[in-house]
Amino acid sequence: MNLPVCLRSLAVGLVWMLSCATPAWAQVPVIAGAADLKFALEEIASQFKQDTKGEVKLVFGSSGNFYRQIGQGAPFQMFLSADEGFVFKLADAGKTVDRGELYALGRIVIIVPHGSALKADGEFKDLSAALSDGRLKKFAIANPEHAPYGKRAEEALRHAGLWPLIKDELVLGENVSQAAQFATSGSTQGGIIAYSLAKAPAVAALSDLALIPDAWHEPLKQRMVLVKGAGETAQNFYRYMRQPAARTIMKRYGFVLPGEQ
Amino acid sequence: MDWLALTLSLQLALATLLVLLPIGIWAGRKLAWRRFRGKVLVEALLALPLVLPPTVLGFYLLVGMGGASPLGQWYEAAFGRQLTFSFQGLLVASVIFNLPFAIQPMQRAFEAIAPEVREAALCCGMSPLRLLRRIELPLAWPGVVSALVLTFAHTLGEFGVVLMVGGSIPGETQTIAIAIYDRVQAFDTAGAGLMSAVLLLISLTAIGLSYFATSRIGMSRRG
Amino acid sequence: MAEPAAGLRVTIRQSAPIALDAELACGRGEVLALVGPSGSGKSTVLRCIAGLHTPAEGRVECGGETWLDTASGKNLSTARRRIGMVFQSYALFPHLSALENVLEGMDEPGSSKALERARELLCKVHLDRLELRRPHELSGGQQQRVAVARALAREPHVLLLDEPFSAVDRATREKLYGELAELRRDLNMPVILVTHDLEEAVMLADRMTMLSHGKSLQSGPPLEVMQQPATVDVARLVGLRNVFEGEVVSHSRDDGHTVLAWNGQRLRARLQKAFPAGSKVAWSLPGAGVLLMPRDRATSAGLDNPIDSVILKLVTLGDRVRVLAGAPGASGAQLAMTVPRHLAERYALAEGQALPLRLRGEQIHLMPADARDRALASA
Repeated sequence: MNLPVCLRSLAVGLVWMLSCATPAWAQVPVIAGAADLKFALEEIASQFKQDTKGEVKLVFGSSGNFYRQIGQGAPFQMFLSADEGFVFKLADAGKTVDRGELYALGRIVIIVPHGSALKADGEFKDLSAALSDGRLKKFAIANPEHAPYGKRAEEALRHAGLWPLIKDELVLGENVSQAAQFATSGSTQGGIIAYSLAKAPAVAALSDLALIPDAWHEPLKQRMVLVKGAGETAQNFYRYMRQPAARTIMKRYGFVLPGEQ
Repeated sequence: MDWLALTLSLQLALATLLVLLPIGIWAGRKLAWRRFRGKVLVEALLALPLVLPPTVLGFYLLVGMGGASPLGQWYEAAFGRQLTFSFQGLLVASVIFNLPFAIQPMQRAFEAIAPEVREAALCCGMSPLRLLRRIELPLAWPGVVSALVLTFAHTLGEFGVVLMVGGSIPGETQTIAIAIYDRVQAFDTAGAGLMSAVLLLISLTAIGLSYFATSRIGMSRRG
Repeated sequence: MAEPAAGLRVTIRQSAPIALDAELACGRGEVLALVGPSGSGKSTVLRCIAGLHTPAEGRVECGGETWLDTASGKNLSTARRRIGMVFQSYALFPHLSALENVLEGMDEPGSSKALERARELLCKVHLDRLELRRPHELSGGQQQRVAVARALAREPHVLLLDEPFSAVDRATREKLYGELAELRRDLNMPVILVTHDLEEAVMLADRMTMLSHGKSLQSGPPLEVMQQPATVDVARLVGLRNVFEGEVVSHSRDDGHTVLAWNGQRLRARLQKAFPAGSKVAWSLPGAGVLLMPRDRATSAGLDNPIDSVILKLVTLGDRVRVLAGAPGASGAQLAMTVPRHLAERYALAEGQALPLRLRGEQIHLMPADARDRALASA
């Protein structure tokens, strides 16, 4: 290999690198959704495509992570957070079009895989017993530091007075989807996850669930917002979330819709 | 099977190869034959990604080229978009992270060439370019191939850095390794399993090729 | 030294990584052997000429061109000096055939003219039927010939040979000596041959330079250096074992001899006026200059010096016996000689036995007294 060949390969590399640039994301908007929306939002997006021919790309993760990434300029055009606090912070930082709007209220459930030593008891009585008699070895929740569903799980456990006992047996998921993974995998006795995830057929098939009283934690006010510079398709999707088609799907996944409390 | 993610991973691996091929040859030669102050330190620095947790590299890359950094801001001003959360940002991370995989096998292969053979070439009046083309590369090609193959496979599997610097954007930074992670979280074991098997096969082939090529380093001296 | 302008002149001085203080010169068509023990710096000097090593201080001139001059900062790279070098390990390109190896030495390896010439060169070194073989398919001797052909392909202004015969067996070596001797008749460039073997130097070289600890000690025709070493160091390096201290008593021009005082007796040596009477000298005598006295003790001829001695040690090496004999007197001087085995048996030599010897004065060679020896002796 001599110099000309070296330069040529570098040149090709560069050209190609730059050509990989814009097309993808500029054409199809990328939408950041909280992990609990995993199944619900995918259904809504495919319905959206059927109804309007518009296409969106969905990325799921913990709301806290998305808040940080959008703050650093990540190219998401719309953000559906599981906690409205993150949306307000982004709005205050000037990253969003407006202060967004409430699209759902979430619920948390206790979930136990089939064959677990635990019973699905929404008021934690069995959980409490399991803690004292040693049946409970590992329990999964999302990481309270940046996942809203994790924070609510912690609040509920504190409310029941179980937090000091259980916190050493906790397995923290990076987001509530991963917590659901851990809770149903068989390596834990169960966990607290989003109602919307527990209702998904894939998850429901593996487990039993019980709703946790919503008085035991702060409400899960889920807020969505358009990020500054959002294109037309993203704006259409934002409006579509208010449509009956979308709302029906959300209800099916256990979300409480604003105005229907 | 997430074809988009696989294509993206292949593109990233190929781009990394193209950038690291000339760098690897240049650095491999220099390290093989030059002695200079601080050479040990340079070699240690280049080997760092071998032992560094990917998240540490990811963290420093975010700090170094993120939106708030001078580099990130210059890039945004020059090209109109961010370096982080982009394919180009991944390429930067991938090149840095693969330096030892590219350089070390090439360095070993060049070192294996007897210094007297190079000196004899100089005595024959060969220019440095001819020396490289006619003597060094033909004798060191197993190391070069090994380096390229290892870099390719390693990039395909890169996860931690990509996650931190890339943001998992489909078609832009959602590589196949991230896609597998995603499938698992979506309770799609079949999808995750298929993609994992494909990656496993590619990695196995790459390692096999690399070892085969390395075993020929000794042989090429006898032609 | 013939035609110094077209020949090679080298001056090198440095203290690290290996101390060097060497000077040598070689004319066109001349073979200069660079001789010295391991570590004496011979290979380093060769590498300096080749440009593979740059000394702290030095000057290399060849064929009228200055290749290196540290004073003015001139330093031509190896590739730009026209040198042909044969390495100790031959350093053939392992992935190329013999023909391709030789072609690489040429200026335009791709041309048909080069191909012709390369074939000619291989013919010259008797390798014409093996031109397509790779180095690993050739014997040591054959590889060496390819290396020589490649060096000559360069049309070099100087041919450098770095212990080229050390890696082959004796039989092959003998053959290669003959070939090199033949080949050099056609060479019209200076040839520097590095070797630690004095016999090789005697066989192949016109002149030799003795190198020790990086210093060039003496230059001259090999036989001259061996028989007339300039200093005690050189005497030891050329393998003379009989080196002693003495004092010049007188010179007798009419009789053509010098009288030397040694060990309490007077020795007559070849006339060497350079050393004034009364001066302390060192003197050497080759083993062949120590002879057994014939039984009948007839008056010795020429400048023979009779001397009594006692056999201290006998070492049988094949068909010869090495004898170490102690000279009389308190000095403890030991004479070394070699006696054919049959003679040793005939005279029934044994340790402790008295042995009358004669020292051939014609072969006694005087040198400046070794300051170190004196210091040691007085210590």
